[in-house]
Amino acid sequence: MTLWRLPLLIAGLLIAAPACAAGAEPAARAALVEKLCGNAGQMGEAAAALSTLAASGTPEEIGWAAPLARAALDKTLACDDTGAVLAATGTDAVTRAPRAPAPDARTPVLSLKNRAVFEQADAALALRSAADPATRTAALATLERRPAALPEGLLEAAAQGETDPGLRTRIETLAQTAALNAADPAARIRAIGRIAEHPSRRALTQVEALAKDPAYAADPAFRQAVDAGLATIRRGIALGDALATLYNGLSFASILFMAAIGLAIIFGLMGVINLAQGELIMIGAYVTWLVQQGLRQAAPALLDWYLVLAIPVAFLVTAGIGIALEALLLRHLYRRPLMSLLATWAVSLFLVNTVRVVFGTQNLQFETPFYVSGGVPVIGDFIFTWNRMFAILFAAVTLLVTWATVRKTPLGLNIRAVTQNRDMAACIGIPTRRVDMMAFGLGSGLAGLAGLALSPIYSVNPQMGQNFIIDSFMVVVLGGVGTIAGTVVAALGIGQINVLIEPLWGAVAAKVIVLLMIIAFLQWRPEGLFAVKGRRK
Amino acid sequence: MAQFSRRSFLQASGLAAAGLASPIGMPAILRSAQAAGPVKLGCLFSSSGTMANLEGRLNYVVKMAADEINAKGGVNARTIDVLVSDPASDWPLYAQSAKQMLQQEKVAALFGCWTSVSRKTVLPVVEQENGLLYYPLHFEGDENSKNVVYVNSPPASSVLPAVDYLMGEEGVSAKRFFMLGSDYVWPRTINKQLKGYFKSKGIPESAWKEEYVPFGFSNFQTLVNQIRAFADQGGGQPVVILTVVGNSIPDFMREFANQGIKATDIPVLGLDMVEADLEGLDTSKLVGHLNCWAYLQNAKGPANVAFLKNWADYVKAKNVPFKGDVAIDPMVSAYDSVHLWAMAAAKAGSFDVPEVSKAFAGLSFDCPSGYKISMTGENNYVARGVFIGSVNDKQGFDILWQSKDTPKPVPFSPYG
Repeated sequence: MTLWRLPLLIAGLLIAAPACAAGAEPAARAALVEKLCGNAGQMGEAAAALSTLAASGTPEEIGWAAPLARAALDKTLACDDTGAVLAATGTDAVTRAPRAPAPDARTPVLSLKNRAVFEQADAALALRSAADPATRTAALATLERRPAALPEGLLEAAAQGETDPGLRTRIETLAQTAALNAADPAARIRAIGRIAEHPSRRALTQVEALAKDPAYAADPAFRQAVDAGLATIRRGIALGDALATLYNGLSFASILFMAAIGLAIIFGLMGVINLAQGELIMIGAYVTWLVQQGLRQAAPALLDWYLVLAIPVAFLVTAGIGIALEALLLRHLYRRPLMSLLATWAVSLFLVNTVRVVFGTQNLQFETPFYVSGGVPVIGDFIFTWNRMFAILFAAVTLLVTWATVRKTPLGLNIRAVTQNRDMAACIGIPTRRVDMMAFGLGSGLAGLAGLALSPIYSVNPQMGQNFIIDSFMVVVLGGVGTIAGTVVAALGIGQINVLIEPLWGAVAAKVIVLLMIIAFLQWRPEGLFAVKGRRK
Repeated sequence: MAQFSRRSFLQASGLAAAGLASPIGMPAILRSAQAAGPVKLGCLFSSSGTMANLEGRLNYVVKMAADEINAKGGVNARTIDVLVSDPASDWPLYAQSAKQMLQQEKVAALFGCWTSVSRKTVLPVVEQENGLLYYPLHFEGDENSKNVVYVNSPPASSVLPAVDYLMGEEGVSAKRFFMLGSDYVWPRTINKQLKGYFKSKGIPESAWKEEYVPFGFSNFQTLVNQIRAFADQGGGQPVVILTVVGNSIPDFMREFANQGIKATDIPVLGLDMVEADLEGLDTSKLVGHLNCWAYLQNAKGPANVAFLKNWADYVKAKNVPFKGDVAIDPMVSAYDSVHLWAMAAAKAGSFDVPEVSKAFAGLSFDCPSGYKISMTGENNYVARGVFIGSVNDKQGFDILWQSKDTPKPVPFSPYG
């Protein structure tokens, strides 16, 4: 031992000395802390000991143990020769006297197996000791994930001490669920009923296993409960699967729709194949990121709402780029469609590389506000994820606004007139050039909004736009050039069919099959689902 | 810069030709003195396309290693010049760039490729031109060309130890495996070998499932649903063995976390997952997922401290468009590659590929991973250490497990 550690040791001994008088307890505590700093096996034992404390310890013991489980999970436990220090509070893990860790202190890393038991121990301790009901609710949610592995007596003790009535009911429900393998048949039957209330494949596996139980053959009431439970769970799963397929299809359709709607307007109106459309989506996502960064500087309180606040910015910036593109470049190429295709491709390369030079190639870091993170389990295995819901709602609103613009505004009237018959529209005094420019701006702005809507789902980097260009052309061509209804129906169809095929034959085959179906369909109906009635050149 | 007239160029090339024509019998010192000017090395890493974010940084690492060697006087009294190409994540373009570098630029060695499909396209070119390619990625093995140096580990010393760990007591006693990969040679071969390995362990076929997605796939909603359904069937602890590449990795992890699955429910072993893939993700919900490489940024030891400092300094000094505080395994492997090549060339006293290849046996280098990596004369593989990392909440990986020493690389898998 080196000399400089001596004072530390002496200090530690001095602090420990009065506690020693209390008896064996501090020694047990020190042994527990030593195990926390030990190898994987010892850490597992320590976690089990913490769980037992949570179930049967005194409030003082639980209060002592809670920060230990938290520190192990958060990697804030600094282990050294004299024990360990809770780095969060700067106190000794055993005595809770302030002290600094030795300079060579190490932080143990939890193995995967230990992580699960520590998460449970931490939740169990928090359920018993946390002052805030929200923390206790979160802890209970963690415990609900593995009811079978809970230490005996924990839930009973927690229910007794619980002050919040709603939470107490939940704890009691969980206690009943955990009694699936108890000795009392009535408790088991009640547990089956509780499990069947939340049907999922995991519940199905649990209850199915009971059919092999000796009680299943012996006890008719038990058999009836198992059979009824299985039927309920199977119904729930079937319903959940149907809903999940619908929801997945709808969410993929909303992505396709967002990517395609801008293109539908541009392609439909001017017949310009805009290969830079994907890059406008990418720029929309980058603008969203810039808005987020701006808010972080200027108004951190509003940071969570950057996705909403970025809507006008993303639209205006990309619309501006679209108008500039039209006025400077495409305007001169209308009579040469092949040239305009090449020109927009050049623009797409230019935009990708400009963004790469300015921002770099890495994925951008987005804040995930509460309204686009996580999800809620609904029924069966169907989880309603908020980021997808955001995209679906966003697509629905975009659809409504676009439809209203095209159908109900003078600009929309002009756009429709020019789409149907450009020369005649010009004859009756519609400024077709300006309509072109505005329509191009509208189409580009919609692409920018697509980038915004996709940023909580996909990685944002300079290449992201290239993923969308083929899909969006697919949707536009299938839907019939230039119709909003066609775009919607095509996006819904492709999205749903993709989602139906994927689990059967895999994602690669799904892509191939969908493409083949589109080709076959276009053989039969080359103008797409909904053709604009009117004369085309 | 020196002006080249046509005449002086002819003279120089005549001299060079003379030097080439009579290398035998001349002492090594004389030869290298004759062939004046820097020796060229070529990089085959994309600066654009889907792989740009990962491969792009390797160009700079190769340059940094070359600078280090040049600062110590170069190799065989010649300095190193690094040429960079951009194969744009387009696999055939890798072969084309390789050919150009070997035929026109006469590079002494190539450093490049990330995906196995790009290596497979370059392979016939380096074999035909008798060039030398240093490949810095862990890969599916089952290949042993005398023209490729496999600097990173084949499955026997990367994937299998990680799967063993997951199946073991210390891991999660994994019993069921969902293999999800991008649809190309690396994931398919790895999964084929894994299935053979599972069979050899007596795991029934019903305990695993295999799915593939196209390159650049990002809509993982349905697949994550499938994984949950697979996991809930019971029959033991499930794990996901993830071999998707590029942007599919962050997109998958995001969906996985959003559907509320934690590492303690279903751990993901991301075989191609590096620190750079976690950029832009909220990793607090991903803590505990795994990867396995021959280097992790948290590796202990002075070599790593020095490497990280050099990289940070290099990024600052050269204004490199990548993060100075992120180091990933392929960066270190590319760095090792340049040093291994320089050591072989110095030992051979020549830059000729056959001579350099002969010098491989017995080379060893203090890798930033903290292991002494080494080569034998048996094959062109490098013996590396094995790390298993666990995602932490700071977009990095903690070291969960590491091998005692460097296992001997096994190029051909017995499992498939």
